[in-house]
Amino acid sequence: MKNNFLEIENVTFAASSKNKVNNVSFNIENEGDIVCLLGPSGIGKTTILRTIAGLEKIHSGKIILKNKTISSKENHVEPEDRNISLAFQDNSLFPHYNVLENINFGVERNRKKKKGLNLKDIVKFLHLENILDKFPHEISSGEAQRASLARSLMSNPDLLLLDEPLSNIDQSFKEEIQVKLKQILKDLKITTIIVTHDSYEAFYLGSKCGIILDGELKQFDDPYNVYHFPNSVDVVNFLNRGILIPAKVTDENTLENDDLGTIKGNFTKHYPKGSKVQLLLQPEDLEHDDKSNLKLEVVDRKFRGTNFIYTLKTNSNLLIPVFVHSHHEHQHEADEKFGIKRPINIDHIVCF
Amino acid sequence: MEIKEVNTKHFWHKVNYPTLYHQCFVKMGNKLNIWFLSSLLISIIVAIPIVTVFSSFFEPTGEYLSIIKNTFLFEYIFNSVTLLIGVLSATFIIGVGCAYLVSFYKFPGSSFFKGALILSFAVPAYIYAYSLTAFFENYGTAFSIMKSLFGEGDYNNYIPKFDGMFGAIISISFSLFGYVYVLTRASFHYQSQNLLELGKNLGFSNKKTFLNIILPASRPAIVAGLSLVAMETLSDFGAVSFFGISTLTTGIYDAWIAFDDLALANRISFFLLIFILGLFVLENFSRKKAQYHSHTRGNFKSKSLKKLTGWKSFFATLFCLIIFFLSFLFPVTQMLYWTLIFPKHFIDLNIIDLLSNTIILVFLSSFLLISLSFISNYGTRINKNKLLDILTTFSITGYAIPGIILAVAFISFVSWFDKNIIYFFDIKPIFIGSIAGLVIVYFVRFYSLANNGLKSGYLKINYSIDESAYLLGYSKLKTFINIHIPYLKNSVLLIGILLSIEIIKELPITLIMRPFNFETFATQAYIFASQDLLEAAAAPSLILILIASVFILITSRYILKDK
Repeated sequence: MKNNFLEIENVTFAASSKNKVNNVSFNIENEGDIVCLLGPSGIGKTTILRTIAGLEKIHSGKIILKNKTISSKENHVEPEDRNISLAFQDNSLFPHYNVLENINFGVERNRKKKKGLNLKDIVKFLHLENILDKFPHEISSGEAQRASLARSLMSNPDLLLLDEPLSNIDQSFKEEIQVKLKQILKDLKITTIIVTHDSYEAFYLGSKCGIILDGELKQFDDPYNVYHFPNSVDVVNFLNRGILIPAKVTDENTLENDDLGTIKGNFTKHYPKGSKVQLLLQPEDLEHDDKSNLKLEVVDRKFRGTNFIYTLKTNSNLLIPVFVHSHHEHQHEADEKFGIKRPINIDHIVCF
Repeated sequence: MEIKEVNTKHFWHKVNYPTLYHQCFVKMGNKLNIWFLSSLLISIIVAIPIVTVFSSFFEPTGEYLSIIKNTFLFEYIFNSVTLLIGVLSATFIIGVGCAYLVSFYKFPGSSFFKGALILSFAVPAYIYAYSLTAFFENYGTAFSIMKSLFGEGDYNNYIPKFDGMFGAIISISFSLFGYVYVLTRASFHYQSQNLLELGKNLGFSNKKTFLNIILPASRPAIVAGLSLVAMETLSDFGAVSFFGISTLTTGIYDAWIAFDDLALANRISFFLLIFILGLFVLENFSRKKAQYHSHTRGNFKSKSLKKLTGWKSFFATLFCLIIFFLSFLFPVTQMLYWTLIFPKHFIDLNIIDLLSNTIILVFLSSFLLISLSFISNYGTRINKNKLLDILTTFSITGYAIPGIILAVAFISFVSWFDKNIIYFFDIKPIFIGSIAGLVIVYFVRFYSLANNGLKSGYLKINYSIDESAYLLGYSKLKTFINIHIPYLKNSVLLIGILLSIEIIKELPITLIMRPFNFETFATQAYIFASQDLLEAAAAPSLILILIASVFILITSRYILKDK
């Protein structure tokens, strides 16, 4: 049987009695995999990272890294002996050393392992060339975050933990850094857990995503499944990428909604005929068609660059989001009628 | 019968102890490491004198207690209270007055006076007392000046005499008003612009804004300054003994030296300690409140000073000049004058010995204080234990306790330890009348200065800095050496200088605890003065003031906290 690189077994992560994530279990199978943990603020994501890093002790369960138990009720390997690096969300650079000296703290650890990390490349990739001789109080929070990331990367840990690593970084750098970060982590095979509240970042970077809500890990799956096959209403509400509408199962691949009529598709779960369900309707599930006789009233229109998201009101006052490509020949204003293509076909039908 | 095995390791955790007990002892069980033990030991050592004084309250004393009760005790208390009221009133007027002028107005010399006024810290009250007496006594310096200006005459009848209680109040006030000045000025400096703008928005005049908004807002700082003055006044030994005022402090000294009754000395110490602990609580309370008013980077605006013109400008300059002259130039000039006209005393003075003795004490004490404060602070930081917090708070009260009490309590403790614990070996010579004993009592007295200085430095190091180091593979010791020590080197330098100033000026502890024939500038000046050889006391006093002044100038940037 193949051993996992990291195993989290029934661990309760707790920094305080209020801030607790119970009975968490997940694995990282291979070295170099990237896992992202998503959840609202204050839910305990950072506590999970701190615990894996060894900064907090655990009272139940087990954490195993490379077949060695590093945290359990009886056994606690000290943070300095784990070879796990954590880049904090806030500025945790050593204030009395300049940026280069700070990064060198990471280099020193890496030197012992003689792995091929190049300081110049990391500095270039994170755009740090101009601030190497500056002290932490002389740079912006985004620059400090990049410097901290560089220090963590240069230490070449067995497991890298990143707490909201790009939250303070300018939008202009963000996408570029996301791409290069992913590439570097893959090239160097650095196994990474990233905590973020940005679902797009998580979906891009992570090969697996975990959703933490209400003190538990609600779903741990690959990004596509998390988005398209959320396993609970809580996950749907957290991702906020669709709405639940009432429907009745009329056939093995058909539902009926009072406002939208017949909806066809493949059910992800079996429901008996006649069941009343909540159908997940995501913005890309409905298509715009000016000629359609199914007309809904436009309530709002959001411009998102590549597309518009229209919010449409049904006869029973449900508000439904619909994507339209931004190059579509015309736009609809509020109170206008908006046609929906019929018959409605949804690739996968998720109901609760 | 079934015998159940008790799992002692988990037993503790299953019992629902009160939270404090749990945090003190259960956590302690989990974290018994060298840092924790060291911190605990340091705190206990510093707490010993306080415990000794309290415990010896119930010990029998000689018949002198009844003598003292019937004769001097009331006088001791009356004099201490009179002295306290006099000094507090004077330091309030001088300290707040100077702080107000240099904080709000621009006038000729205002920038100079802002820094110059803190030089009063360099003049201990007992040296001020020598200068005052030397100047105003019969046929003293004032007499000589009059004579040289106006020829022979009976000027002694016209020259006021500053001796007794009045002299003590003047000497101590000019020596200590700096505490009120520095803290009040800092409070004015940091608060005023926002509050002035607030006052303007409410339609207040500048005067009304100052009286109704700024002054009440600075109350915690003023109270903190006055509390320090009160503690130092009650601790003063040199000035009051020189003027022959019997206070609780001199009473302790007399009980021990004249009556040879250590228990009685402890009994009087107890009364004084209760008095001082009351002040300490008050000071701590006001300091906590003061934190609410400290500025942050975001909202602090340095204010533009109002330029004074005409007679207002003249009087502002005159007021500050008089205070600067009286608090610093006057004692320095008097001591310099005597040193110059009696060069024999200067030549006879064994400067090399005095300097080397002072350096030895400064170096040993500062090294011990800073090293152990480092260990204690780091131990408390990594252990997060309530017991340590309580002990640390308790142990830093040493600064509030008069040196004389600490010295007597230490001797009591060593005698008790020698008699009851290590009775087979005489440890008294090692700790009484020795440099080791002297340094230990200095340690207790100045521990709060070193400890609080480092603590405020440590507060600036976010805990995530330590965690980052651990995660980069640094052990606790390596983090301490590679991260903390380099970061705190400026704080250490500042603390070292402040400790040096205090130790150079310190008199009662040195006087009681020093080895035979081991003198510092302070004790040498005191010995000459107590033998009525004021002209001989001038040279060591002058050297002491000059060394302390240099140190104060080096640290003035930090003391004034403007930058």
